[in-house]
Amino acid sequence: MRRASLIEKDSQEITTVQDLTGVFESLASIQVAKVKNKATLSQEFFQLLWQRYSSIRIDPRTRITNRSGLAGDKDKITRVFVLISGEAGLSGDIDQRLIEIMQKDYDRATTDIIVLGTHGANQLKERGIPFIRFFQVPESDRYIDVTPVIEAVLPYDKIVVYYEEYVSLGVQVIKSIDLISSIQNMSQDANVDIITDTNTIFEPSLDDIADQMEITMMTLALSQAILESSLAQAASRFNAMAVAKKRAILLLGGFFLEFHRSKRSESDRRLREVMISLKKKRRSGGNR
Amino acid sequence: MATPIKSIDQLYVIARGPFKIYYEGYAVAVTALNRVGPFDILPGHADFFSILSPCEVFIEARDEPVSFVISNGIATVRDDVVMLFVNM
Repeated sequence: MRRASLIEKDSQEITTVQDLTGVFESLASIQVAKVKNKATLSQEFFQLLWQRYSSIRIDPRTRITNRSGLAGDKDKITRVFVLISGEAGLSGDIDQRLIEIMQKDYDRATTDIIVLGTHGANQLKERGIPFIRFFQVPESDRYIDVTPVIEAVLPYDKIVVYYEEYVSLGVQVIKSIDLISSIQNMSQDANVDIITDTNTIFEPSLDDIADQMEITMMTLALSQAILESSLAQAASRFNAMAVAKKRAILLLGGFFLEFHRSKRSESDRRLREVMISLKKKRRSGGNR
Repeated sequence: MATPIKSIDQLYVIARGPFKIYYEGYAVAVTALNRVGPFDILPGHADFFSILSPCEVFIEARDEPVSFVISNGIATVRDDVVMLFVNM
C-alpha cells in the first residue's frame, strides 16, 4: 500500500486538475452562448442582404463561379477543400474526424487544400497530406475577417468547405458544403420585386454593387461555417472537460478511500510496533 | 423579423453589420457618403443602391439621432425602406 503522504500529494494534484477542468468547462459554456448569438445575427444579416441581391436580377451561381475564368482549363487544379479546424487542442477527437471525412473525397491530383487552424494543420502534417495555404482561425469573439481566405479561394471553380457543425451541446457532426450552392441555400427566396437600372439609381453601377454583394455573401457564408465550427469546438471542449472533471471526481473519491486506509494501516503498524516493543521490554524485565 | 409598417413622412431604417444591429426603426433622414460625395435620404427618395465610402453615418431618428462610423457598406432604398449593410 502507498504511503498516505504520497496519496495526499496525488489528491492535491487531481484537485487542481478538477478545478482547471471546471474552469475550462465554464469558459466553453460561455463561448457556446456567445457564438450562438453571433451566428443568429449573421444569418439574419445574410437574409436581408440576399433579399436585396436577389431582387437585382442576377444569377449568383453564374456570376460567382465565372469570376475565376478557370473553367475549361484542364491543366489547372480547379477544386479546393477548405478545412476549418480548431486553433488549439483540448477539444476531443473532432479534428481527426474532420480530416478522416475529408480524406474520403480527397484526390491529390485534382484538389488543393487550404487549412484554417493550427490543430488541423498539424494533423494534416502527421498524415502526410499537403496543403497549399494555412490560416489561423479568425477570432470569433470579435469581427471575423475572412478576406485573406476569400482571396485564396476565389481562383477556384469549386470550393468545398469542411467544418464541424454544432447540433447540440452533446452532438457535433462533420459537414461539408459547396460554398457557392450554400449561398443560395442560406437564402429563403422570398417574393421579391425585380429591380433594374430603369427604375433604380445605382451608384457607381449595378455591376459594382452586385460584385460587392457577392463578395459579402461569400464572406458571410464562410464566416457562418467558421462560427458553426467554433461553436462545435467549444461544445466538444465542454464535453471533453466535463468527462475529465467527472474522472477527476472519481479519482479523488478513490484517493480519499486509499488515503484513509493507508492512514489506518500506518497507525495499526505503529501500534503493533509499540505493542511488540512493550512485550520485549516486559520479557527483558521478567528475565532480570 | 417583423415587416415594417409604411409611414408617409418617415423612413424605415435597418442598419446592420454581420454581428451588430446599429439601428432599426423609423427615422426622418439618413446621411452617409459615397464616391460621389455626401448624400441625404429623405422620405420619398427614389429607389437607390449605392456602395458606401468610409464615413460616419447619421440617422435622424424621432427620439434621438444615431450615428456610427463605417469602414465600408452598401445602402439600399426601396419604397422608403432604407437598408444599410455596413462594416462587412
